[in-house]
Amino acid sequence: MAQVTEVGKIRRRVLAEMARMTYEGTLQEKIDDILETVVTEQGPRYRCCVHKERAVLKERIKISLSQSLDLSLKEAAANALSGEIVGLPIVNVLPEACDRCPIDKFIVTDACRNCVAHHCINSCPKGAIMVVQDRAYIDKTKCVECGMCKRSCHYGAILEISRPCERACDVKAIHAGKDRKATIDETKCVSCGACRIACPFGAIVDRSMVVQVIERMKTDKVVAMLAPAFIGQFGVKLKTGQVIEAIKQLGFAEVYEASFGADIVAVEEANEFIETKDDRSFMTNSCCPAFADMVGKHLSALADRVSTTVSPMVATGKVIKRKDPEAVVVFIGPCIAKKGEGLRNKEFIDYVLTFEEVAAMMVGKRINAAEVTASEYTSMASRDGNSFAKAGGVMQAVLDTVQMTAPEVVVKAHHAEGLGNCKIALLQMKAGKIDANFFEGMACEGGCVGGPATLTDVRVTSKFVENYAATSVAKVAPENEPAMDERKKVVDFHQHHA
Amino acid sequence: MKKCKQLTVEICVGTSCHLLGSEDLFESLKRLPRKIQDAVDIQGVNCLQSCGKGPNVRINGLILTDVTPEQLLRVIETNFYCEKESI
Repeated sequence: MAQVTEVGKIRRRVLAEMARMTYEGTLQEKIDDILETVVTEQGPRYRCCVHKERAVLKERIKISLSQSLDLSLKEAAANALSGEIVGLPIVNVLPEACDRCPIDKFIVTDACRNCVAHHCINSCPKGAIMVVQDRAYIDKTKCVECGMCKRSCHYGAILEISRPCERACDVKAIHAGKDRKATIDETKCVSCGACRIACPFGAIVDRSMVVQVIERMKTDKVVAMLAPAFIGQFGVKLKTGQVIEAIKQLGFAEVYEASFGADIVAVEEANEFIETKDDRSFMTNSCCPAFADMVGKHLSALADRVSTTVSPMVATGKVIKRKDPEAVVVFIGPCIAKKGEGLRNKEFIDYVLTFEEVAAMMVGKRINAAEVTASEYTSMASRDGNSFAKAGGVMQAVLDTVQMTAPEVVVKAHHAEGLGNCKIALLQMKAGKIDANFFEGMACEGGCVGGPATLTDVRVTSKFVENYAATSVAKVAPENEPAMDERKKVVDFHQHHA
Repeated sequence: MKKCKQLTVEICVGTSCHLLGSEDLFESLKRLPRKIQDAVDIQGVNCLQSCGKGPNVRINGLILTDVTPEQLLRVIETNFYCEKESI
């Protein structure tokens, strides 16, 4: 997360209010109050009037409850409290909030000099440009948005404008519908959350299970599993022991680190790599769900290159459920796409929350992590397992493990961050233009520490993760004995496709 | 030597303020001119008892709520002064 914008503040205030009411047992009765407390008569106002502001807020609350927009707030609250989760996509456009950005893709600016050469007119294959009142004019009825005019103008006077959501989406899954409102094509969307970050109107919302989890904690044993990127997320001055305690105070019975499963994954992927290196030109990681989804949906010819090893989240879920089949497992991470991966692995992951949602739960329960007494805490994972949180970490973990278990095997690793970059790299590898046999793809810049639901700057947390990883006793995955023990007990850490 | 007034700026790092962007406030202070930065004593505090209205800041004892980076810089600059150089 770069900067906390007004959009982010509203989203977080709503989550905190929902959490507060759920903890206090007043959500059903008082949910409509959120409309008054988050949007006050005095403002600040971002839209035309308080009514519009509240209409948007209503939709935001319903999606945050994982409920249909057709319900009233009270009905939505009742459903969420009873644990219901409606079959919504992970990432949704709020119809009220979308500004239907009126966009002419190419516009002629004041920089047009009405020059003599008229490169724009000459370059236009459709004859859509003429001179009107001493300036080039694009006839929208003829324009096919090819961009030749923009490239031809020596003054750079023709501007290309696109919707922020469209520009942010590397898989071209979001576009303006007939009514000019943004719509998401589920067959293309990989739930990376880039559009949510990009939309300046806060019109894109990921569904949340905060209420469902809090309710579940009132009756069941609920276990938290922290993504390796958690270091530094809840405040840069906090000790790890404070974070763990604060999470327990939310009502979680135990706290696991997903990096424990990452150590298992590193070994499984290293073995898989060694076993299959002669059958495929390269292998990729599978832990980043948006990346794996992109390969599946957009580069299906390369689907067999993705490792069959499960993600650290699922691996850790398997470990927890083996020990205690009754435990309700909640993954807490920086990632929106994990919400989808959780649904696809219901057997091992009951709920997925983000750091943002969990911090909002702390606020709702009036837990100030900065004032919580720290417990003694040492990481459950090796240095390499902890490094899964940052770009290049998975690659390093697999390299180190292969080096340790089969030093004669040559791993030529390559990695990329950002879905667009990953796609280019994969195509180049497929074409043999990059000499590598292992590829790490991360949907977010910087890796998981750069995820859409992080709370602290990616450069800061990247450093924090590094320092934390350095405190691990075990350096490489196979040295993490408890994890290797569990690996033997669970047996199967692979996904089997039909 | 010019004497500049020392300013104490306390930024809340409690969970509520952190969630609402107090980290951005620390970041923004790097944009202050050098001489002001030298005269400002920046501290992180755990709570300023105004949770939910954050991010909160206390400057020389006065609590400000819902502070944006731009506001913080402006407040510091208007509260900052140096004595005229004596001849």
